[in-house]
Amino acid sequence: MATNGAAGNISQFRLDNGLRVVTAPAATGQVAALNLWYGVGSRHEVPGRTGFAHLFEHLMFQGSGNVAKGEHFDAVERLGGDINASTSTDRTNYYETVPEHALDLVLWLEADRLATLRDGMTQEVLDNQRDVVKNERRQRYDNVPYGTAFERILALGYPEGHPYHHPTIGSMADLDAADLDYVLSFHERHYGPDNLVVTVVSNLEPGDVRDRVERYFGGIPAREVVAEAPDATLEGLIGGPLRETVTEKVPAPAVFLGYRVGNYGSRDFDVMHLASAVLGQGQGSRLYRRLVVERGLASDDGGGAADLLPFRYAPSLMLVSMIAREGVSGDELEAAILEEVQGLADGISEEELERARAVLERDHLQSISTPGGLADALGSCTQLFDDPELVHTWPQRWSEISTDEVVAAAKRLLGEDNLLVVRFEPEAKTGSTPVEA
Amino acid sequence: MSMLQPRPTLGDASPYTFPKARRLQVGGGTVVAIDVPGQPYAAVRLVQPAGGTSEPLDQMGVAALANEALEDGPEGNSSLAPALEQYGAEWVSRVTWDSFVTGVDAPASRIADATALFAEAVRAPALRDDDVIRRRDQLVERFWLEASMASTVAARAIGGQLFTGRYATPLSGGPANLQQLTPEIVREFHAGSVAAVAGTLVVVGDLSGVDLEKIGRTVFGDAQPTPSRSTTAPEGAPGELPRVLVLDRPGSVQSALVLAHRAPARSEIDLPRANGMSDVLGGMFTSRLNMELRERLGYTYGVGCRFDLRRDSGVFFISTQVEGPTTAHSVTASLEQIERLRNEGVTDGELSAVRESNTVGLPVGYSTARSLASALVEAVVHDLPEDHVDQLRAGFERITAEDLHQAARDYLHPSEFVIIVAGDAKEVAGPLEEIGVGPVTVRDPEALWA
Repeated sequence: MATNGAAGNISQFRLDNGLRVVTAPAATGQVAALNLWYGVGSRHEVPGRTGFAHLFEHLMFQGSGNVAKGEHFDAVERLGGDINASTSTDRTNYYETVPEHALDLVLWLEADRLATLRDGMTQEVLDNQRDVVKNERRQRYDNVPYGTAFERILALGYPEGHPYHHPTIGSMADLDAADLDYVLSFHERHYGPDNLVVTVVSNLEPGDVRDRVERYFGGIPAREVVAEAPDATLEGLIGGPLRETVTEKVPAPAVFLGYRVGNYGSRDFDVMHLASAVLGQGQGSRLYRRLVVERGLASDDGGGAADLLPFRYAPSLMLVSMIAREGVSGDELEAAILEEVQGLADGISEEELERARAVLERDHLQSISTPGGLADALGSCTQLFDDPELVHTWPQRWSEISTDEVVAAAKRLLGEDNLLVVRFEPEAKTGSTPVEA
Repeated sequence: MSMLQPRPTLGDASPYTFPKARRLQVGGGTVVAIDVPGQPYAAVRLVQPAGGTSEPLDQMGVAALANEALEDGPEGNSSLAPALEQYGAEWVSRVTWDSFVTGVDAPASRIADATALFAEAVRAPALRDDDVIRRRDQLVERFWLEASMASTVAARAIGGQLFTGRYATPLSGGPANLQQLTPEIVREFHAGSVAAVAGTLVVVGDLSGVDLEKIGRTVFGDAQPTPSRSTTAPEGAPGELPRVLVLDRPGSVQSALVLAHRAPARSEIDLPRANGMSDVLGGMFTSRLNMELRERLGYTYGVGCRFDLRRDSGVFFISTQVEGPTTAHSVTASLEQIERLRNEGVTDGELSAVRESNTVGLPVGYSTARSLASALVEAVVHDLPEDHVDQLRAGFERITAEDLHQAARDYLHPSEFVIIVAGDAKEVAGPLEEIGVGPVTVRDPEALWA
């Protein structure tokens, strides 16, 4: 089965084992961008096993039945290829952008680790990558100012036990507890062609790409048992204001606000995405104009104070964050941000909405202007929404949303009853211990 | 039938040639453009020589501040970005030691409008007192905010450890120098080094229907041709080598580690040999340092090395962040890898990886408007020939194992390293003394710039 999209010459196929294949042309020649989206992420983790989907992503580079440890990276890097992977709440993706003649090789490498990863796994490999991931956690969370903000926000925004309550990186204790048996069973439960979207952006014919994908992946059977994700249903508002204040070694007070909004893909999400752009995306946004330029209360972030955290299977979060200027207190900054957030409910102008649409569209178009970026977006839209054409039609959604709709959503969702606040305060020079309020 | 196919044999790659650029003289400037049909997002860059090294020593940071202040636009009051946002365009700018680069990324269909706005912002910015002072004070505060990152603390110290003169102070000028810069100084710098100098305009994207000459006239106006420039090699910093500088960060669970020494200038280095050797040591995931420190020892999330090459000099450095207790061993393990490379040279596998990744891999590196534009900008900054990418490729095609081995001996100098550690001195200074690579000094990082 194939469908050809008019907008971007997208073709879509499904193999007998359930694997979905998407193709699209690249703007420059001689290159092939391969992107795999597996439908597994940290939302599948259970208490005591946090961080596992991401640790597993690391293990996928450590060798499989016919590929030695390090060989996958080596094979792609020696071709000048771009290679990496990432894990989020909702998916794990692996990608390689290579010279076109190497497409078969990377398809083979990916197929090998899908089919035979378990043959290459050892305790030694697991122990090494656990240490690497713990250092990743130190580098990104524990050893940087405000580094733990994100996990504190999730912990406040989603109740204990909810699949989005914990961050993808997981906790040190749970990482320590990971064992080899669990690694093997995780692969069996989540890694099958029926849970995978393979996207190729290149100048090869769609049918040719489909045949190649079938050649390497077609013989891999679908999973016998399909893993079930923990229930992520969550109704209503946050029930706030919920608040945590952290006093630790940070250079200035910082304010992080979160509001529960619609699932990624819902109209509510798009409406609030526009609201966040009016509020805090770009130097024409309200927070930048008012708090950075006019009032001098917040550090210059270039216009990146608000955005949505997209969750497909649970309500997403709108995040707003700013760092205080010298001599400005956290209380003063928080009050000033809240004033701007709440001001959205009083109305927004047509010009503001038009600018917000332009900013979102620009960022979207930029993200799909590279072969790898386009492949990633196609994989996303197919894995999460079963509709690769969304890559080209999404901006249309924003154009259909009115100022009235944004204001109505702001009235409904941006009140104190839907608010969480994480504040960071610098510790006194004499030193003090973290305090929770 | 087995569920898997045998490993495919890699066929021959199609030969790659960097796209030919179109060049036009327009008034006092030059437009260099690459047409990429079907690439809807265009990259526009104006390259001028007013980088950090062009600053008078009593005005350090003025290039960075002027560059930043342009974002306030011809009307002032941070009005440029919102105006560009209406066109779906984004302001892009940066100052390097050797260049002052400004530009926009814009949909190719809006390139003329976006470039007209951009040109006005570069040639006739308001540079009002209030705006310049706000930008300056924000830069100073951002300097301190960034100083709370261990990796930034370590990286910022490199210049002062290796050089005297301009390179001893960060490109942004550092807080004390920035505070001395008045709006008058910024306006004077802008008038003489930015507004009056035509520069070179780089344009990459789908150029069907784009009038390059008109864009050139808009951007260059009546500005004068870019003056030629001379370079003088900078002096080194005093002090015993190798040595260890610990920038104390009490309670730091990781140490940011930098091993740095001086290197030749961009024009004096044999780039395929130097970069190829650096790739083997730490330029790729599968490089020796990463395979040792990350994949065998588990000390770090990642480690890398590279050359930072300028018109008048260069720096070679290794950088990583490692778990605190492994700091001293990370230093000796890195030095061991360097010694091995200098003594034993590279393997056949490493040679072919270097050769192939820098030849058949080029279509991947140049698959975006931004990366194509970067190659053109680099050519302008370093006076490189039009076919410099193809020349480099040819250099990599010819490279031998002996070339890479010789490069390790020519370009890696463990006895000249300054080893900078931003970490908990209480934990790391003792073990660093014990490994005996050189004298260990502990300093408060804030005192470096206060």
